[in-house]
Amino acid sequence: MARRPARAVLLVPLLLLALTAGGCGERAGSGALVTLVFKHAKILGPADPLPGLLRRFEARHPGVRVQSEALTWSSDEQHQFYVINLEGGSPPFDVMMLDLIWVPEFARAGWILDLTPFVPAAERDAHFPTAIEPAVQGGRLWALPWFMNVGLLYYRRDLLAKYGFTPPETYEALAAQVRRIRAGEGDPRLDGYLWQGKQYEGGMVNVLEALWANGARLLDDVGRPFPERERARESLAFLRGLIESGVSPAWVTAADEELTRRPFGDGRAIFLRNWPYALDLFELPDSRVRGKVGVAPLPRLRHGPVGAASTGGAHLAVSARTRHRTLAVDLTCFLTSEAAQRAMTEGAALRPSRPSLYQDAALVARDPSLPALLGLMEKGRPRPITPYYLMLSTTLQPEFSAVLVGRKSPDQAIRDGTAQVEHLLRAITP
Amino acid sequence: MTDHRLAWILLAPALAVLGGLTVYPALWVLWLSFQYRVPVFSISRWAGLDHYAFLAVDTRFWNAAWVTGVFTGCSVALECGLGLAMALALRGQSRGRRVALALLLLAWALPSVVTAKMFEWLYHPAGGLVNFLVGGRTINWLGDPDLALPALIAADVWRATPFVTLLCFARLLTIPADLYEAAQVDGAAGLQAFARITWPLVRPILLVALLFRTLDALRAFDIMFVLTGGGPAGATETLTVYAYRALFQTLQMGFGSAIGVVVFAFVMVVAVAYLWVINRQDQTA
Repeated sequence: MARRPARAVLLVPLLLLALTAGGCGERAGSGALVTLVFKHAKILGPADPLPGLLRRFEARHPGVRVQSEALTWSSDEQHQFYVINLEGGSPPFDVMMLDLIWVPEFARAGWILDLTPFVPAAERDAHFPTAIEPAVQGGRLWALPWFMNVGLLYYRRDLLAKYGFTPPETYEALAAQVRRIRAGEGDPRLDGYLWQGKQYEGGMVNVLEALWANGARLLDDVGRPFPERERARESLAFLRGLIESGVSPAWVTAADEELTRRPFGDGRAIFLRNWPYALDLFELPDSRVRGKVGVAPLPRLRHGPVGAASTGGAHLAVSARTRHRTLAVDLTCFLTSEAAQRAMTEGAALRPSRPSLYQDAALVARDPSLPALLGLMEKGRPRPITPYYLMLSTTLQPEFSAVLVGRKSPDQAIRDGTAQVEHLLRAITP
Repeated sequence: MTDHRLAWILLAPALAVLGGLTVYPALWVLWLSFQYRVPVFSISRWAGLDHYAFLAVDTRFWNAAWVTGVFTGCSVALECGLGLAMALALRGQSRGRRVALALLLLAWALPSVVTAKMFEWLYHPAGGLVNFLVGGRTINWLGDPDLALPALIAADVWRATPFVTLLCFARLLTIPADLYEAAQVDGAAGLQAFARITWPLVRPILLVALLFRTLDALRAFDIMFVLTGGGPAGATETLTVYAYRALFQTLQMGFGSAIGVVVFAFVMVVAVAYLWVINRQDQTA
């Protein structure tokens, strides 16, 4: 193999260049033959833009091949896949897509590369602060946002207009509108407000939003649970009350995003809490609610602000054990760049993490909801940013679920939840 | 070379494989269960029996044990009863047997996650087929803590009954027809023929089916994980779901292993009890 020394010679200046260039900048490739493995969830939408993007990256980096491997659909299984492979030693991938709630955990475990030296401040500032925040742990940046989500209140524009209502700013107003519209329509199959109350991460998100809507938090600044206990109690009682009063059907206690999206899409509900992806589906040509759906910030309870909606989304991170550090960082920068996010927004049912794209004329022409989403994305709130978020969530989910189905009083659930979280924290603090 | 030594040499590959694939991991899990081991927080210290002591008073654990027991008892009893009944019905059927068998296999051949997803829509309170069939009422199957477990048992019965049916049906085919003819000549028909001929001959295979299904049901995971996530209010959280949450969602390797060890112990006790019954049968038969 006569080419081998030549390849090494080529690599040295490249590495030097990479070290000095340091960051999300454009760089010419080398002749080295390298395969990068990129793990990600399947991208849904009209046209998957990813293969095109990866070919573009390869064209800029001759000799580099990006192998894109899809993860299983469920978020729990993705997490399990990563944990087993990363904890086991040498993971078979270089760049990975992470649910933003995992970033602090993976950073703490030392599984992902510190991206701070590679990402200039201007690049960091080009994303929503609410998207960057969850990727920061110990003052360092561990991942770059790829796309972004935020909780929205969907409402039936036609029904609200018919009764002279504007989108509700408080949950009291929402409940009153539901009663008035249902009484007026006289349709027993028309439900009021649909949300996700199943015992899973999505249910946790809905409970957190109810806490925030009343000015309560899950953790205080030093990580103690339920600092505003009375307000938290009110929030939980409110959620249960939605079901007891019939504003929400009892089955929301087993509902996830899709189970609530479908009836609303069939025109059988007035309000829905869901992520932005549902909007694309409601506007499909054969949708029964096409042109009849509006989006608004989530309402508030007595003590909280309007629009305290949870953020969601995916970040890209680099495995700490990758053998192609520079290239993997390059790929991460490339895929989160403005050009790539533009392509993702055009082809897939995803929303970018860069505010600039929400007012981009070409994109807005394709998707007129973007400017309205901008403000909602900016106001979005991250779930508690802590390495033990998943532990916390899994521990508390059965307690919250017990309140929603009426098995426990809010008081009891908060007390039991606090005891369990404290037990958990004792075990993990040496 | 003595026969004895040869026997060991011939056994060695099997023992090595079993040892490497079963005994070693099992011992490793047991070892982990005596530790605080949370890799994310670089925690690795001796816990002794702490995890087991916590489990003894952990209401979530006892709830999961109860749910596992109810799920196993009900689903296995129904599966074996229905499975045997369907096998008998199949034997009596002359036309369309192949189609019936193919349809039965379909349910068994579906991955259980697919089955679970399908039932998710069947049970949908607003648009699900089940509620349509019971007269358009909106019964909250998966969201009501009292109904969720029965709903999951029904789904599991739908999925696993064909397995029992096929085993029993295969056994029924091997019972010579002249046995029944002779019985008829002697004046024994119907129930009597079933009690004297069919039942004693099917019973051993039914016990094997019972053993398989019980061990499966004790480790039930996919159906509840997909359909309810263990909710509502933990009403469908089995021991394996709890262990999964501890191990792979919250990464408490030590604590999760302790749950795993307890599940293993339960399963072993049941398996040994069954084997004892089966052995005794063989001896008396």
